[in-house]
Amino acid sequence: MEQFWNITFQLLEGFKENCILFGVTLLVALPLGLLISMGSMSKILPIKAFCRTVVWIIRGTPLMLQLFVVYYIPPLLTDGSFKFSDRLSAAIIAFVINYAAYFSEIYRGGIESIPKGQYEAGYVLGMKKSQIFFKVVLLQVVKRIVAPMSNEIITLVKDTSLARVIAVGEILKNAEQFTKQGLIWPLFYTGAFFLIFCGVLTLLFRFIERRLDYYKG
Amino acid sequence: MAFLEVQNIQKSFGKTEVLKNIGFSLEKGEVLAIIGSSGSGKTTLLRCINFLETPQHGVISVGGEVLFDADDPSKIKEKEIRKNRLHFGMVFQQFNLFPQYTVFDNLVLAPKLLAKEKLKENGAYFGATSYKNAVAAIEAEAAQLLKKVGLTEKSDEYPCNLSGGQQQRVAIARALALHPDVLCFDEPTSALDPELTGEVLNVIKGLKSSDSTMVVVTHEISFAHDVADKVIFMADGVIEEEGTPQQVIENPKSPRTQAFLSRFNQYSD
Ligand SMILES: Nc1ncnc2c1ncn2[C@@H]1O[C@H](COP(=O)(O)OP(=O)(O)OP(=O)(O)O)[C@@H](O)[C@H]1O
Ligand SMILES: [Mg+2]
Repeated sequence: MEQFWNITFQLLEGFKENCILFGVTLLVALPLGLLISMGSMSKILPIKAFCRTVVWIIRGTPLMLQLFVVYYIPPLLTDGSFKFSDRLSAAIIAFVINYAAYFSEIYRGGIESIPKGQYEAGYVLGMKKSQIFFKVVLLQVVKRIVAPMSNEIITLVKDTSLARVIAVGEILKNAEQFTKQGLIWPLFYTGAFFLIFCGVLTLLFRFIERRLDYYKG
Repeated sequence: MAFLEVQNIQKSFGKTEVLKNIGFSLEKGEVLAIIGSSGSGKTTLLRCINFLETPQHGVISVGGEVLFDADDPSKIKEKEIRKNRLHFGMVFQQFNLFPQYTVFDNLVLAPKLLAKEKLKENGAYFGATSYKNAVAAIEAEAAQLLKKVGLTEKSDEYPCNLSGGQQQRVAIARALALHPDVLCFDEPTSALDPELTGEVLNVIKGLKSSDSTMVVVTHEISFAHDVADKVIFMADGVIEEEGTPQQVIENPKSPRTQAFLSRFNQYSD
């Protein structure tokens, strides 16, 4: 029993890294994604082309590869004078870029799905562009993207374990170390941590969806 | 000079010329009905009047004030357009209510935003000099407008819980809440089940008074006949015929008008 709590505690240490990676990624990628989506809908062609190309590259390559690129390319380019002292920072950068790209497409889908008539109704009522966006369109967009966003965010929870490939001391890496002592079960035990975390998120998203259920359309 | 003057409006989308030198005028308190077959440019004309489209040529003025002049760049600035737009109201075929707001909030949203802005700019909004007073006046008027369109008891409902006819009546009240000089309707009953068109047409009929000027695009010929002071028949981007309902609907001179109207008479007579 003591061993169980010991291992639980050590796995929690690792899961803390997963949580930091998750939290920071969410905090930065959500607004950054909005910015990218604005860019990919921009009327200024170079901005639009740039944003869409970035999104294509990020979504078209594995996150694992992106982790390697962020971690190994800067030292190569600077002849070793720049090196991530903290592997987690490298993981955060890769995750933020990757998830911002995915989020931006969800935002874009949501924004483009709002009928033109909503904007026009705002215009003929003398509203400013910004007022139309914040007072009319935004909540409708939020309602439409809660489901795809929650999907993506739950995927993010599980993706954090990928940081292991650049040796971030996250939960799966911790659990693997026990296999050297002949203990396999901690590896499977990590599943419980993810399940609980995702369960809580699922409840949270269901709550948000319910809150927005008061109107249709 | 008439109250509403629309002159030489020309509008093309790419190479297709949709409005070819359209002009008409309307006195205060008059109702203009615009009829015409599909694709003749009726919607585009209303959208030009409401600045949702920018015509390549033309002048629009209300009460002697030029609100739009295609040749005057200062009139096509966004800020100017937003200000001038308030002379007009627009009721869309598809209602376009804001789904996340109650009926009442649909009515007061834009006036409240406008009141805040006007109070900051020149210290007054329709006689109110504080935001609190302005809001009280706006809300009182919204309640009155809902009564006028017969929807007092739907005040706290969301648009998704209303019938199409009720939604369109809300949209009319919402447009009126901003006191437009000219209220435009684009086929206000076309998206409705036949049994619901009457309630909307009756509301529009009820708005007719000495100080509400209206432009109504409609396929309801008998409504146009009974309510309008003036009728325009549009075909292929030009005004084919205009005059009183008696002239245009009862005794059309142009063969195209006759052909168009005969399609309706087959059923109604
Ligand atoms: N944004 C646009 N871009 C290109 N063409 C357009 C656009 N809007 C309208 N048109 C064209 O202009 C013409 C007139 O359209 P409009 O909608 O004004 O006709 P309408 O008289 O309102 O017809 P309906 O009775 O079907 O509503 C049509 O041929 C249409 O295809
Ligand atoms: Mg039309």
